[in-house]
Amino acid sequence: MDEHETLRAEVRAWIGCNHPGDPGWKLPQSALEVADDRQFGWLRDWQRKLYDAGWVGAEWPAEYGGGGRPRGAQRAIDQELARARAPFLLNLVGLSWAGPVILHYGSEAQKRRLLRPLLRCDEIWCQGFSEPGAGSDLAALATRALRSGDGWEIDGHKVWTTLGRYADWCILLARSDPAAAKHAGISYFLAPMKIPGVSVQPLVKMTGEGGFNQVIWSRARIPADALLGREGQGWEIATATLQFERGAAEGSAGGQGGGTSDVARLVALARGLERGGRPALEDPLVRDRLAQFWVDETALRANAGRALVAGLVAERPAALPLMSKLASSEHGQALADFACELLGPAAGLWIGDPHAPENAEWQRSYLNSFALTIAGGTSEILRNILGERVLGLPKTR
Amino acid sequence: MNPAIRWDDELGVLRAEARRWLDERFPIARVRALADSEAGEDPADWKELAALGWLGLVVPEKYGGAGLGALHLSVLMEETGRRLLPSPLLSSTLAALALCEGGSEAQRERWLPPLVAGETRFALATDAAAVWGGERADLFVARLGDRFALVAAGEPALRVQAELVLDRTRRSARLTLDGVRPGADALLPTGAEELPARLAPRACLALAAEMAGGADALLALTAAYAATREQFGKPIGSFQAVKHPLVNVLLGVESLRSLVYAAASAFDAGRPEAETLARMAKAKACDVYVFAASRAVQLHGGYGFTIDCDAHLYLKRAQTTRPAFGDAMAQRRWLAAALLDS
Repeated sequence: MDEHETLRAEVRAWIGCNHPGDPGWKLPQSALEVADDRQFGWLRDWQRKLYDAGWVGAEWPAEYGGGGRPRGAQRAIDQELARARAPFLLNLVGLSWAGPVILHYGSEAQKRRLLRPLLRCDEIWCQGFSEPGAGSDLAALATRALRSGDGWEIDGHKVWTTLGRYADWCILLARSDPAAAKHAGISYFLAPMKIPGVSVQPLVKMTGEGGFNQVIWSRARIPADALLGREGQGWEIATATLQFERGAAEGSAGGQGGGTSDVARLVALARGLERGGRPALEDPLVRDRLAQFWVDETALRANAGRALVAGLVAERPAALPLMSKLASSEHGQALADFACELLGPAAGLWIGDPHAPENAEWQRSYLNSFALTIAGGTSEILRNILGERVLGLPKTR
Repeated sequence: MNPAIRWDDELGVLRAEARRWLDERFPIARVRALADSEAGEDPADWKELAALGWLGLVVPEKYGGAGLGALHLSVLMEETGRRLLPSPLLSSTLAALALCEGGSEAQRERWLPPLVAGETRFALATDAAAVWGGERADLFVARLGDRFALVAAGEPALRVQAELVLDRTRRSARLTLDGVRPGADALLPTGAEELPARLAPRACLALAAEMAGGADALLALTAAYAATREQFGKPIGSFQAVKHPLVNVLLGVESLRSLVYAAASAFDAGRPEAETLARMAKAKACDVYVFAASRAVQLHGGYGFTIDCDAHLYLKRAQTTRPAFGDAMAQRRWLAAALLDS
């Protein structure tokens, strides 16, 4: 980490002068909750500013718009930005999932055309994987890709489409060979979104927020060069995408710095609360739980550090990468739940109520935490994967 | 806190050598035979431990030790924990650390070399009960009222009574110290409250590392069984009711190992958060080891409840190691104070 100390200092100096501050209205908690044009425009400008300063795509090759810096540089940048509580990066799907996959599987022409605008937030990306009938059983997807003239015609129904309303491009899984076996008949497309036959309809989450959509593809024609990799290679590339989505593979162009300490926020909350007429921090049960969260949060960070030490992961190299999303999402959910418990009856107040502590931020965090225990492989699916790939247990089914 | 973890190839060599030697010397049948024996250990093993240099691993070179740090000790403890080493290496190491931390220079010069050589066996008695390795120790670093003193096993007033223990791979004794009057040169200069406090961070780390090794061995044992044992015509590991708890053990073991090596790295780099990390590791170790052991017994089913299944050996080790230098609740009490009251 020390090798990036100069870089870290540069980032710290830059963010010191360029932190955008509080816009004075409600920002979303993450890229999963961007619901209106004001939020979208503000966040797009922020990512552009970061890109122009060199803090996005720092490790990606310069010929595709990246910074060409050595391995570990992006992580150092992300951590410094997170430490300064900089806003998150808007183009999440592009930066962390689509981009790394295009870098690996894309043709030269695809890389040259798509990556720079992705990094600069000039073009927004979304993901077309899940369907109403294909959630955990993703390979059961029914969206069809039919060869049509020079390109493809797409028909299907995709859900959980974060940023779908604003997206210019979609990483789209579709069945190109209905006769082939379940996993073999799938192809992976870099599909344009702003074309005839693509209809985006907002879905409302349990927080009442949007940011989340379903997309209907109806005889939507996409060009031949929208295919990523080979026809029928879709499942392999989808699996690679999920590795990025779960934080199991490195290569993100930014925005993965992790939050500031949730435990510190929780302690700050508890400091101002009472239980039974006494300060909450004098309650030994509260203290025990807070210490437990501190242990677990530190363990998550130590896991991230140990994952980089080859000599300490040799026996189960896949374990730490595969468990990263599972462990952190369940920790975050438990912590937000405890915060709500500490709030007592005030946990029943919602955004906008003048008496809602922190304008119901903890309640909102708790509800939103389920996005992370469900998306990108539910905790249940991830336990299956860990049991099978890491512990060598026989397949469930 | 963003804990940095240090590692080098030499540590990998130590791990490989330790594992090979322990695997060869302590197959589970021999561990069981020693557990069933009167003495609970074999003096020949002690000589070997001395010859390997492990008794003096963390003792400074000027006293004949290897002068190595917390990372090396963690690796060694993890490997011995994996094998339920039936020999009081940990007890001797804690006594050596106590002498290093709390002894006078003259006491260190006099006693550390024979400890390292395996000629004088030491045991640490921060309390008069549950003194690991006590029955066969030559010299105790024992608490006497408001002081610690070096007390020879042959001291007429000292009574050493072997305890009947749950974990027969780790024997312990109860000391009766009434009437023991140590000479001035036998008294440690460090106070009775201060020494355990100074020793606790390193002791917590050594214990957590040993517990990590045991929990990891349990995970391997249970996963292997679940992959082969069939019920309803299928290996039981294919059922999520078996698979998911095992993955929960995996999550715990991996997190525990991360905390252990983060704490060890912090000690070796002289960083101030070392004690916090060590206590976090011990807190995590208590929960993870007992959980891993309980799942091992449970998922082995009826066989798991018998003495023939190895799971109970670890379960007993986990239960008896848990209170040493503070269980999970005690560690979290310390951590809560560090987090909330500063």
